[in-house]
Amino acid sequence: MMFQISDVPRLLPELMLAVLALLVLGSDVLERWADDPAARRERGRAAAQLTGIGLGLIWLVTLVQGGLAFTIAPAGAAGPLDALLSLGRNLQAGGAERGALLGAFATDGITVMARLLLIGAALVVALLAGDHLPDAHPAEFFTLLLLATLGMCVMAAAQELIIAFVALECSSIALYVLAGYSARQPAAAEAGMKYLLFGVVSSAVLLYGMSLAYGVTASIGGADGGPPRVNTSFAAIAEAVRVADVAQRGAVMLAVTLMIAGVAYKLALVPFHSWAPDVYQGASPTVAAFLAAASKTAGVFLLVRVLTAAFPDVAGAAGANGFTGWAALLALLALSTLVLGNLAALPQDVTRRLLAYSSISHAGFLALALLPLGGAAPLRDAASAALLYYLVVALIGSLAAFGALAALQAAGVADRLEDLAGLRQRNPLLAAVLTIAIASMAGLPPLAGFTAKFAVFVGAWEAGAAWLVVIALVTTVIALAYYLRVLRPIWMQPADDRPTVSVAPVTAVTLALAALALIALGVLPGPLWQLAQAAVLAR
Amino acid sequence: MKLVDLAPTIPWLSLIWLVPLATGTLVAFLPDARRQLIRTLGTLAAAVSCALAVLVTLGYDPGGPRYQFVEQLPWLPGLGASYLLGVDGISLVMLLLNGVVLVAAALLSWNVAGRESSYWALLLLLGAGASAVFVSLDLLILLVCYELTLLPKVLLIGGWGTTRREYAATKLALFMMAGSALLIAGAIALYFGSAMRTFDLRLLGAHALFPAEFQQRWFLPLFLGFGVLAGIVPFHGWAPTGHVAAPTAASMMLAGVMMKLGAYGCLRVAIGVLPAGAAAWLAPLAVVMALGAVLGAALAMAQRDIKFMVAYSSIGHMALALLGFVSGSRTGMTGGVLQLFAHGVLTALLFGVVGRMIYDRTHTRQMAELGGLRQVLPFAALLFTLGGLSSMGIPGFAGFWAEFGVLLGTWERFPALALVAALAVPLTGGYTLLAISRVFFGPLPDALAGVPRLTWQEGVAGAWLATILLAVGLAPGPLTDLVAGGVAPIAEALARVAPVVPLP
Repeated sequence: MMFQISDVPRLLPELMLAVLALLVLGSDVLERWADDPAARRERGRAAAQLTGIGLGLIWLVTLVQGGLAFTIAPAGAAGPLDALLSLGRNLQAGGAERGALLGAFATDGITVMARLLLIGAALVVALLAGDHLPDAHPAEFFTLLLLATLGMCVMAAAQELIIAFVALECSSIALYVLAGYSARQPAAAEAGMKYLLFGVVSSAVLLYGMSLAYGVTASIGGADGGPPRVNTSFAAIAEAVRVADVAQRGAVMLAVTLMIAGVAYKLALVPFHSWAPDVYQGASPTVAAFLAAASKTAGVFLLVRVLTAAFPDVAGAAGANGFTGWAALLALLALSTLVLGNLAALPQDVTRRLLAYSSISHAGFLALALLPLGGAAPLRDAASAALLYYLVVALIGSLAAFGALAALQAAGVADRLEDLAGLRQRNPLLAAVLTIAIASMAGLPPLAGFTAKFAVFVGAWEAGAAWLVVIALVTTVIALAYYLRVLRPIWMQPADDRPTVSVAPVTAVTLALAALALIALGVLPGPLWQLAQAAVLAR
Repeated sequence: MKLVDLAPTIPWLSLIWLVPLATGTLVAFLPDARRQLIRTLGTLAAAVSCALAVLVTLGYDPGGPRYQFVEQLPWLPGLGASYLLGVDGISLVMLLLNGVVLVAAALLSWNVAGRESSYWALLLLLGAGASAVFVSLDLLILLVCYELTLLPKVLLIGGWGTTRREYAATKLALFMMAGSALLIAGAIALYFGSAMRTFDLRLLGAHALFPAEFQQRWFLPLFLGFGVLAGIVPFHGWAPTGHVAAPTAASMMLAGVMMKLGAYGCLRVAIGVLPAGAAAWLAPLAVVMALGAVLGAALAMAQRDIKFMVAYSSIGHMALALLGFVSGSRTGMTGGVLQLFAHGVLTALLFGVVGRMIYDRTHTRQMAELGGLRQVLPFAALLFTLGGLSSMGIPGFAGFWAEFGVLLGTWERFPALALVAALAVPLTGGYTLLAISRVFFGPLPDALAGVPRLTWQEGVAGAWLATILLAVGLAPGPLTDLVAGGVAPIAEALARVAPVVPLP
């Protein structure tokens, strides 16, 4: 295994992200540096625009290179578009090889989906952030956003412990800073601090799990007489787990448990969730949107990689066939998250806090969707497609909901539920976007949230966790109760003398597109489902 | 025999729900200030949808295959769900009902003031969702459309309603969502239980696919899941508050069509797919329904608020319709479906009179504060009386044939329960006549002397509903034949596993 120059294009999106991050940071020097607000705003705008345009370009490159949605036909007759098409052809030629790079970095369909989702989320956040420029150091804000995205993309592709951990830290450290970026506001500083403390402890737990997994490979290699074959790659761990005896299985299970616990903090699964409400509420709303959408998605991808590549042999079951392995761990996490997340959301009076708990409860659905991934091939593939589908829908839903809240905050609307009163009259667009996003989160058809949840339920049911599906269904009823608490002021209470709300055009278009996507994916779920299936099968 | 030949190339069934949906979407983007345009468009869309339903009914061939006008497109092949539409006799009657009530509801919505574009968009979405449920032959699509109606209902009640509207809207939403949770679990169970990985109701219902034990386990969740919306006792708690709080058009749709969605689901999915499961539960459910019919009527008798009275009478009438279904006989089921139609039209009429013609003028619904309205609103009095007579099951009105069929069918299997349920008939007569005399006769309070006359929309909507009640009552033949043809396969499947023992 050797890294070749021809492998470089397979890392193109990540490389472009790194270059863009440096470009944003460097180009800031060329702006006008002055202390007046106009100059500050201009600098911020420039950074936001460069980030937005760059991310849009990278997203397109990823889409074409991934070749999941379409493949460009080989050269035909020369036409006006031929130059563009041949560029696309070159991109697809460079990205087509799927085997993991150096056995450490997978560029398969799942990586492509992860890149599309994470870069897309960063793009939306960059577009929304135009209204929420930080008080100081705007270019650094966007650089950190890009570095966090880079870390997440690598995390989703990791096939090896060190890469996984370094990528996780790359994204986490950037996010710690982002969460506390407006350090002059005490709430933001508190959010950043809390996130840092929880994050560091979780990293330690994760690292401990990783070191155990690493250790297991050594002891097994030495046991059959030869020299120890210590190795950090997931494939080696899987091989070691396969031949482990009962005593070693104990160490393996401890490693799995610690690693799941370490990543569960990223997903805000109960009981690793307690940072989430404070951080979502205290951080700037665009950062909260990024945390709720992208950071969580990246965590799920890391879990998918670790569980399916390194520990397929201790998958176990969580149903009538027994209650063992990591499936059982995930079932317990899903259970506690669904029940506690939904119940804790009920009494919340601050909109963003309520949505934070709703986001926690969604992590429960993600754990439910991860459950069947240890099963046999057809079940696993269908469940992976359902998981990808759910991730796409949850990501768009979070971005729409938190983005709408960000727009409201930019317009000076306070953050309690009653401050939304009469929003239908004060700004019909934001009212519609929030309603659609929330209805989708609540799982009401014809919005995408319904199909996504249904697909997850079908997968978990087939994996034998029907009992958990029934509990999840009960929690959807509870969830509707608090989602209605958000819809109630918007639709049912008079605006009285509250002022109308104005939204910047870029924000309005972004949010409207997100809401339309939720409707379109719900009414016509077929294409996205096929895309998800293609991503799963393109190994 | 069919009366009209419809071109098979046109997706008629899709049009029935797409017309109101497309209009609703268009209306949502119009500014509230264009209210005249919004109202006209909305009413036109309702009328076109109703006309299409009539056209499809005329084009249905009773001698042909069970499901006609079938349309099928792939929707979610990964899960075995497709966009599959088709109609039989039951669906057609329900489609007609939806069209009829939607037109009247639209006409009675012309006085809605404030946020018109959202109001009309939600009302049309409600109508579109209901008709889509009635034509779905794919269980997943059916559930999607069924739950699609939840948000419009909730927002209409909460946003444009009256008495304790936020409470009523929330309560309705939670009851419905709980029902949906049962239905989703049931749907997934059917999906895996049949081993065919399909949601096609034709396939699921056509053969004795499921072992008897499976059917008995999953019948009740499916029946109750739909039954929540049908207002079956003791899961009817959402209905009185919801009906009373809703704006007039929403009460009409809620009682006139939405409760029928639930009942339709009970018949089409629960009984139609799991006949052996139904057979095991017929007797206990029949007891619940018979008691529900009496309870609904008794509670209606006890009301002082006239809208609450109509709301409780709806619960009683729905229980009677479901009693027809769980009687398991063809006569009873035919009567049950007819009851859905008759009650849908008459309750829309009653809610229209009570909510729009009376409350919007007098701002009270307390029967003690009303009286003598016949002198100022003679046409409203006539309409309420016609609706009331139909509700009492007087021969000559649609309600008669329905109740007669239900009681006759129940007598075949559960004679004692038929007697119990028959108690509801005199009770209904009692509260209806009391209401008519208290509201429309007697001295006119001075405060009500100057109420404005009926508008043309109110008159047309009332006359439209009353005419249909009378027409179906005088000539029930065509409708009865349609329904009887539709329920025959369901009743036969049920009779195979639970034959009716003839009375000694």
